[in-house]
Amino acid sequence: MSHKSARYLPLVVTVGQVVIFPYYIIWLKQVSLTFTLFAWFFASFSFAAAWGYRIYQTKKNKDHSYLFIIYAGMGSVYILIGCIKNSYEFLPYVVLPLQVVLGVLQGYFRAWHSDQDTYHLHAVHHYLIVGFMMIGFSFLKIISPVVFITIFGLLLLICGFWEFIRRGKLNVPKKV
Amino acid sequence: MQIMTELLKKPWFLGSLVVIFVAVVLWNIPIEKRKYGLSQGSLVTDYTGLLPQHVERVVKAENRDDMQRIVKEANRNGQKISVAGLQHSQGGHTYYKDGVVLDMRTFNKVLEIDERKKTIRVEAGASWEDVQEAIQPHGLALKVTQSQSIFTIGGSLSVNAHGRDIRFGSMAETVKEMTLLTPSGEIKNITRDDPDEWMKYVFGGYGLFGVILDVTLELTENDVYTIHTGNLKTDQYESYINELLNHRNTAMHYARVSVAPSTFLDDMVVVNYDYTEKQDHKTVLKKEQGVQLSKLALDVGRQGGDLEDLFWGTQKRYIGSLDGKEITRNNVMRSESTFMEYTKPGRIEVLQEFFVPVHAYKDYINDLKQVIPANDRNDDFKVHNITVRYAAKEDFTTLNYAKEDMLGLVVLIQHGLKEEEIANATSLIQSWTNLTLEHGGTYYLPYYRYQTKEQFRSSYPGWEEFEEEKLRKDPNNVFQNMFYEYYVK
Ligand SMILES: Cc1cc2nc3c(=O)[nH]c(=O)nc-3n(C[C@H](O)[C@H](O)[C@H](O)COP(=O)(O)OP(=O)(O)OC[C@H]3O[C@@H](n4cnc5c(N)ncnc54)[C@H](O)[C@@H]3O)c2cc1C
Repeated sequence: MSHKSARYLPLVVTVGQVVIFPYYIIWLKQVSLTFTLFAWFFASFSFAAAWGYRIYQTKKNKDHSYLFIIYAGMGSVYILIGCIKNSYEFLPYVVLPLQVVLGVLQGYFRAWHSDQDTYHLHAVHHYLIVGFMMIGFSFLKIISPVVFITIFGLLLLICGFWEFIRRGKLNVPKKV
Repeated sequence: MQIMTELLKKPWFLGSLVVIFVAVVLWNIPIEKRKYGLSQGSLVTDYTGLLPQHVERVVKAENRDDMQRIVKEANRNGQKISVAGLQHSQGGHTYYKDGVVLDMRTFNKVLEIDERKKTIRVEAGASWEDVQEAIQPHGLALKVTQSQSIFTIGGSLSVNAHGRDIRFGSMAETVKEMTLLTPSGEIKNITRDDPDEWMKYVFGGYGLFGVILDVTLELTENDVYTIHTGNLKTDQYESYINELLNHRNTAMHYARVSVAPSTFLDDMVVVNYDYTEKQDHKTVLKKEQGVQLSKLALDVGRQGGDLEDLFWGTQKRYIGSLDGKEITRNNVMRSESTFMEYTKPGRIEVLQEFFVPVHAYKDYINDLKQVIPANDRNDDFKVHNITVRYAAKEDFTTLNYAKEDMLGLVVLIQHGLKEEEIANATSLIQSWTNLTLEHGGTYYLPYYRYQTKEQFRSSYPGWEEFEEEKLRKDPNNVFQNMFYEYYVK
């Protein structure tokens, strides 16, 4: 099981992130007061992702990559987004740090993922899965992007938990 | 290049980039503006959004002939017309159920500037901002405006607005001439000695006596003033303002009264703009400055209690820091407004203005302490700010608020939108209005009508004459709005 999860969890996370992206964009556009701000939110995400990427790359002990924290962190951000009321006056002030946190986590995850043997295989799979999923979603009426974002957040939390347990299991024999 | 590539590999560098970028974005996040006006789906509103109403259509005013045709048609088919400027009025003054709204914002050309005579002829949908941009290069400035430049000329004259100027009398008195589209559909040129006294009813006439098409306004020099600020107690203010009016070299003035719990209605700060004999052709018109900080400070004050004390202290320090600085007349007339934006769902911020005779000010303020609580932190009804301005006696218009020399207290109020919260606000504002009436005062009509019809009649004894003349000049009741329907019709 642990082996399987090592294989599939990153795939779930990458696919999920791409699938949730359109919904996330819709949400972000709704909370940005102007297009300029919308673009700045994206820019901050991007800069933060570059930072997160380099944090992983320059990390000394790559065996301890704390992926469960990354998954759980991303999950928590998405769940938080689901809980925020849209008509909140200082929403942009909340969204900006969330963009940064998400960017750092995503950059870090991406750097880790690209280090894995399965990365290239996952890339192909993820494109195909996303394609099929998006066709599937096209038949769904969007209730609110927030619902999808929250569900994805929960899924990431479960991934984090799973990863935590898997890691524990792997660690146990090492310690013995 | 090499250094740059190396730097980009360093997490600390990338982290710093993120921090700097985030700080820049944070500083520039625009302030959310309230959504109101003629484009809110099928219902129109004004600044507060408190009275959404269905209208038949909105017509963009572009040329005189079209407007004239619409008015003539309305006389024939019984349609009602309302006139809208920038819709900062707050009580349905700019629309009427199933009526036609003339949106004057597109009727805004500057027609003529006469530098020698110091006048400007301008279409009534122009804002003060438009006028200032046109006259500033000629070294000219307006005589009377509100303290901000975000209103149209037609909208301002129709409420006979006032501001920081203390020398030129009322806004209505600065108009030399106007072109009016009368309720019967005639286009008339009106001067001050017009035998039909149109100006008497159109100014402060809330769009009920036709459409102001253009006006010729008297201007003055764009003087340079020195700012003088000071701290006072409310009981010293009456003699202070009298001294200022009679003996000081001050052109413009305003004051603020503390609404913070520990200095509630006791402390005041005053700001004077004193003549320097200098004039200015070059200083550019100022843009909104420090909006984020001002909004943050106001948001802190909005929390009430100790934080409101902190806000008051900060305001006093800020105002004090302006002492001795120079500013042009045009720039005094365009103070910031965006920082006041407030968009919390379920709550609203409104303005009210109460006028009391200068000589009654001290007793009035003392009695006011019995009407509103010093600490409103846990109350629904909150008073965030009181600004005081001088309004000179004016008996030119019919619904005149300054029957003698008055001090106007502009009050920024916040309350909830639940039925009981509105009822509570209404009751408090009515008590406040009663107190004002007891002291020989009035209240200002462009704002939301919390007051009763009786309070309106006591405040504006000219209302009967206004109504009679309305019937005479607009027998088909073509010009209508929700304000008039509530108070008079
Ligand atoms: C934040 C804020 C600050 C304010 N500060 C001040 C102040 O310092 N001093 C002050 O005196 N007032 C002040 N006011 C009130 C303001 O002056 C009035 O609401 C004014 O009417 C706003 O102008 P407007 O262009 O928005 O007019 P609107 O609200 O669009 O119209 C007001 C009235 O004028 C009529 N009208 C508009 N254009 C014409 C026209 N061309 N012909 C005939 N009738 C017309 C309308 O029918 C309506 O009855 C303030 C209001 C706000 C919201």
